[in-house]
Amino acid sequence: MEEFQPKIIAFLCNWCSYGAADLAGVSRMPYPPNIRVIRIPCTGRMSPKFILEAFRRGADGVWVSGCHPGDCHYLAGNYYARRKFALFNDLLSFVGLEPGRLHFSWISSAEGAKFARVATEVIKAVKAAGPNKRFAKDRVKVA
Amino acid sequence: MADMILKKSALADFIKSLSGSYKVFTPSREGQEVKFASNQGKVLLDFQNTLLSPKDFFFPQSERMFEYSTDPAAADAFILKDIATEPEPRLVFGIRPCDARAFVILDRIFKNDQYTDSYWFARREATTLIGLGCQNPCPTCFCLSVGGGPFSEEGLDVLACDLGETLLFKPLTEKGQQALDKAEGLAEADDKTSQEAARIKEQAEAAISSRISTDKIDEKTVMELYEAPHWEVVQERCLNCGVCTFVCPTCHCFDIQDEVAGKVGDRIRNWDTCMSWLFTQHGSGHNPRADKTSRVRQRFMHKFKYIPMKRGGDIGCVGCGRCIMLCPVNIDVRDVVRDMNA
Amino acid sequence: MEERTKKIREIAKRLLSEGRVDVVLGYRAGTVPLKNAPYFARTPEEAENFIWDSHGRINLANFLPQRQDRVAVVAKGCDARNIVNHIVENQIKRDQVYIIGVPCQGMIDPGLVYEREGRLIEEAIEADGRLIVKGQGFETTMERTEVLRQNCRSCAYRNPPLYDELVTDPVPEQEGLDPYEDIKEFLTRPNSERFDYFEKLIEPCIRCYACRDACPLCYCAVCFVDEHMPQWLGKSIDPRDKMTFHILRAFHCAGRCTDCGACEAACPMNIKVRQFTRRLEMDVKELYGYEAGLSPDIQPPLTVYRPDDPQDFIK
Repeated sequence: MEEFQPKIIAFLCNWCSYGAADLAGVSRMPYPPNIRVIRIPCTGRMSPKFILEAFRRGADGVWVSGCHPGDCHYLAGNYYARRKFALFNDLLSFVGLEPGRLHFSWISSAEGAKFARVATEVIKAVKAAGPNKRFAKDRVKVA
Repeated sequence: MADMILKKSALADFIKSLSGSYKVFTPSREGQEVKFASNQGKVLLDFQNTLLSPKDFFFPQSERMFEYSTDPAAADAFILKDIATEPEPRLVFGIRPCDARAFVILDRIFKNDQYTDSYWFARREATTLIGLGCQNPCPTCFCLSVGGGPFSEEGLDVLACDLGETLLFKPLTEKGQQALDKAEGLAEADDKTSQEAARIKEQAEAAISSRISTDKIDEKTVMELYEAPHWEVVQERCLNCGVCTFVCPTCHCFDIQDEVAGKVGDRIRNWDTCMSWLFTQHGSGHNPRADKTSRVRQRFMHKFKYIPMKRGGDIGCVGCGRCIMLCPVNIDVRDVVRDMNA
Repeated sequence: MEERTKKIREIAKRLLSEGRVDVVLGYRAGTVPLKNAPYFARTPEEAENFIWDSHGRINLANFLPQRQDRVAVVAKGCDARNIVNHIVENQIKRDQVYIIGVPCQGMIDPGLVYEREGRLIEEAIEADGRLIVKGQGFETTMERTEVLRQNCRSCAYRNPPLYDELVTDPVPEQEGLDPYEDIKEFLTRPNSERFDYFEKLIEPCIRCYACRDACPLCYCAVCFVDEHMPQWLGKSIDPRDKMTFHILRAFHCAGRCTDCGACEAACPMNIKVRQFTRRLEMDVKELYGYEAGLSPDIQPPLTVYRPDDPQDFIK
């Protein structure tokens, strides 16, 4: 049987984690190709709607990554985001989102190696969680 | 067509004998909710009315109208294809006369000189309605004031009356007679029984304590009603939620949306509500019903002024009282009509 | 109850006749049993219509955002906490609102009463801590405390934390309660069981949005369910769209919810939608030590941060 290849949406902050992805790329660091990147200005811009929308549209995993605390380009965007993510992560888990589907990380633009490592970890975890059946909406279910 | 009688002890067999020809729905209680369900062992007779109106038998909250392929390579890409629906024959036992009257109002709305809503009528035609006369009306029922009654026959194929030990069935249409012909356990009723049913009907009508008057609404102009100050009072506490419209047996507005998944598109029609801001939002950004007052006014004006104007005086409300029971802020349609009629 | 009614009318009349406020918000008797109605009095005569009973299920703070007039509000503990929220969120100015605080003994859950009775109730009378319900051929008496709303049973703020005047002496607060006991138990269940529970919970939802509209926190000019460019969720009764709605509605209440229960009280399908918000409420308390609406001087948890906020879940 062919191995399940998940689709993962990665929301990466422009100033740190997106740069890290770039660095991992130019440094030829390998990681599996299951990630589709969406660049966001800052993790502070992340709306929980984006995460739910990704799952609803069939993403098997979502990964949000930004600057380390203290390093935000906008000084505190990631600090605010951290509180939102903590609560949203707990809420989704509470209503039955499987462990290993939703991930958060802080990766600076100098951490290409960390990017490749976390990407690998995320992909492994989402693979273990299997296809997203609970929150993905395929064809509308109506009478 | 003669009145027929059935022993209540034979009701389960009666339903069973019909289930060969129809998918039969009967009232049932699930938790606190009374609703219609098929394949019920026990038929609920001791109930006032279903929580939600039964309009979804013919006008489901969401329904697929068309489907299409969004694959540009496909020969029929983006060509709408009818959903081939041959509605199954259904029989609803125990529907209340007020709700059946609502279907008659909606028949006239879903069909005009230009269009006929085939989705509505296909299901309507395939469905037989056995009504159950309302012997214990709720304090919120005002069917008698809007042209109906607890034993109204409008819209029904058969009207049943609970006589205690037995049920009396009065066939009203050819369709109804056909259903009774297929059923087992029926015997012809004698005159005495039919007289007893007539007495019960009178009693039930007398039991309806709640009345409204609409006579002066006819005399007033639209603008007079439209600009009346009482709307400001009603809107003040209205939440603009959709409860009243969604539970209403005559509310029928819908929104059509396309939903695409992969290479398949579906055109879906969903209930919509005039209480919602989005309902009248134009593509230009303009919204003709931008404030709460105009939205809450619309619902009552539609039922008690616009529909009667267009439909020869028939009111667009059947007096079932659901909106009164379920409104979170107790906006009582009877009070609103009283103000409109003042 | 009578004492509170009398006092509310008295205060409302005084405020209106002295011209202190333009309008007083309270409750008047409903036209159906177990439900009363929000009422807006603008003259001392109208103030005679106010009542206080156990059926004040709608949170009156809901009617405050963006008001321009001077308004007095009859407020129990949770309503007052929501007024505090509005002050914090600049929806109304402190000096514009006069809070008539009502120490509250809990509100009755009509759903529970119906569950017990199983038939249509045509009349409900309250006397001496008892509720007498009558219908066709029956009359039942029950203790008020047995049919209180769930959120009232676990309420720790029956007395308004902020008020201009109290209608009675404060009532004793309920001590030693763990309002989140069931949530903690639920969290120990397998994740698939939790999902099944919530999917079943919202199965009857008809998407009327009464939960949203009854919520004092939901005052956005355009709600995310009405956004259409882009449109965030489908309009049908598809279970995934319903779930998206309920999750997002709840999340918008994170760090703001006072557990007033208006959402549940407004639901025509009797869905326990507080199950979503209570998890957030518990989380906010555990992670950030915050409870909504206790003081206008404390910043809400999602508008502030601490450098050492918990982040075990972040790689």
